[in-house]
Amino acid sequence: MRRHALAVGFFGAAALTPLVIHDGFFLDSLVLILMWGAVSGAWNVAGGYAGQVSLGHSAFFGIGAYSAALMATRLHASPWLGMLAGAVVATAAGLVIGYLSNRLKGPYFALATIAFSQVLLIVASRWRAFTAGSEGVPVPFRPGFWTLGFASKVSWVYLVLCLALAIYLVQVYLERSRIGYQLAGVREDEDAAQALGIPSRRLKVRAIAASAALTSVCGTLWAQYVGFVDPFYVFSVDLSVRFALNAIIGGVGTAMGPFVGSLLITSLETTLRAVFSDIRGGLVGIYLIIYGCLLIVVVRLIPQGLVGWFGQRIRAARRYARA
Amino acid sequence: MTALPQLLISTVLLGGIYALIAVGLTLIFGIMRVVNFAHGEFLMLGMYLAFWSFTWWGVDPYFILVVAVPLFFAIGLGVYALVMRGVIHASHNVQIFTTVGLSTALQNVALVLWTGDFRFVRPWESSVVVRILGAAFNLSQVIAFAVALLFTLALFAFMKWTHAGRVMRATAQDGEAATLMGINTDRVYRLAFAIGIACVGVAGVLVSPLYSVYPTAGLQFVLLAYVVVVLGGLGDMVGALLGALIVAGVEVIGSYVFGSAWKEVIYFVLFIAVLVFRPAGLFGQRGAEALGV
Repeated sequence: MRRHALAVGFFGAAALTPLVIHDGFFLDSLVLILMWGAVSGAWNVAGGYAGQVSLGHSAFFGIGAYSAALMATRLHASPWLGMLAGAVVATAAGLVIGYLSNRLKGPYFALATIAFSQVLLIVASRWRAFTAGSEGVPVPFRPGFWTLGFASKVSWVYLVLCLALAIYLVQVYLERSRIGYQLAGVREDEDAAQALGIPSRRLKVRAIAASAALTSVCGTLWAQYVGFVDPFYVFSVDLSVRFALNAIIGGVGTAMGPFVGSLLITSLETTLRAVFSDIRGGLVGIYLIIYGCLLIVVVRLIPQGLVGWFGQRIRAARRYARA
Repeated sequence: MTALPQLLISTVLLGGIYALIAVGLTLIFGIMRVVNFAHGEFLMLGMYLAFWSFTWWGVDPYFILVVAVPLFFAIGLGVYALVMRGVIHASHNVQIFTTVGLSTALQNVALVLWTGDFRFVRPWESSVVVRILGAAFNLSQVIAFAVALLFTLALFAFMKWTHAGRVMRATAQDGEAATLMGINTDRVYRLAFAIGIACVGVAGVLVSPLYSVYPTAGLQFVLLAYVVVVLGGLGDMVGALLGALIVAGVEVIGSYVFGSAWKEVIYFVLFIAVLVFRPAGLFGQRGAEALGV
């Protein structure tokens, strides 16, 4: 239980908040914190546990967003089916990109994934007949659970909370299970892992595919929540960086890291947006400047992230108390 | 095939500019072993320098080069001291996210200071048509190519014949051995980074009359520069020149055949293909070895 104290506190607080606070802006921030935490958790499956640091995860997010939006507008299909379709397409895309970039490491892998997301961006913004081009796709609002249309923010909080919890549990599984230990082995020393008979290539591809599918599910929910899919946003490099950023600030390869990172970064963003939106549009960029600087400082001073850093402090304090 | 001279000369002109951007990137990688994800942002700053000096004082972009070279060299020194120096021996991930953070910060500094509007620099050269072998180009393109070529050649000469250049090449070959020979590698890294940034800053000034200026303008060029650099082999300067010609050729011929809307798809697919099948580049091996590909 002690291992999960942080998670219980975090998700418990998120579940109780809508009972106490009814302010729309606050609940919106909460949905976004959970949402971005969940996507970063999905990124963490490949980037943290498998060590495949991708800067093109917006590709999978966009696939999820587009699948549901296009199926809802063209076929009048339920977003749940769109979510499933998106996850299938994203898994396939993850398998392909994972297989192709299998030998690539570090910056090369990051570059390949950026290029992949850019290809999807160009296709989505130029192939007008299929995607409606650079104008984007408005997601129709049809009230009801089966059509994923909730007017109340409270329903969204609980829906996204379920998603966040599921992704948290996937990560916990990766910390405890055989496959998780094998992935850690591959991440730390691929040659040694292979020498021990771990099928490192297959594992990496699977981790990327699983991460892609989860990211795509988040993309679908995000599109349904926001109500609009803009190709230049959902496939942007900035978005991919954001997924990685939350996990890095919170702690790469820790199950709670992405959520802690998202709590910090997303609340910083919504606060600064609220403060600066009254003054001048361009000033919204200030939070991104802070982002960038924070990223430089955090990877330099605490590369293990906040969760990792506090974990070390707590263990050190316990050792001291025992001695 | 009346279009042939136009296509060929376009390729060469464009290739010259891409070469200058890519040479700076590959120099930084070859010597520091750091992939600079913020490279495009310095290009963007160069474009803004040209834009503002043209709008405020009516200074022609090509005269501003006199200021741009020392200015970007100094920016390079400053960024090295503040940001890069601490991560030069860190892991890949730390290096990637440091330069990604730098890129995000710089893009948004530009956004906050100068808004996201698309801006244009239109000096008189842009409206002068030059005819080469029956193909038509505007004078800005020709000047940009000539100056880029001059800078690239100057850099090659510097690397080959000066003492500092020799020291830099030695460090690129084997940093540890260079340290043992009494080379102050920290100074070499600083110099390499500053020269790389100066190159890309100059390239930014040169391309400003040809492309629109906006805070994320660097992104399209930096992705392209990576295509060039990976094609030529990361860290290989001669390879970067050939890579620049290949990418320019793909872009020019691709937009002639498929229309300019799809040219980016062509070189990204080319990029992924090269990464997958020849990650060490078409000719090189050196950079790739260091990354354990």
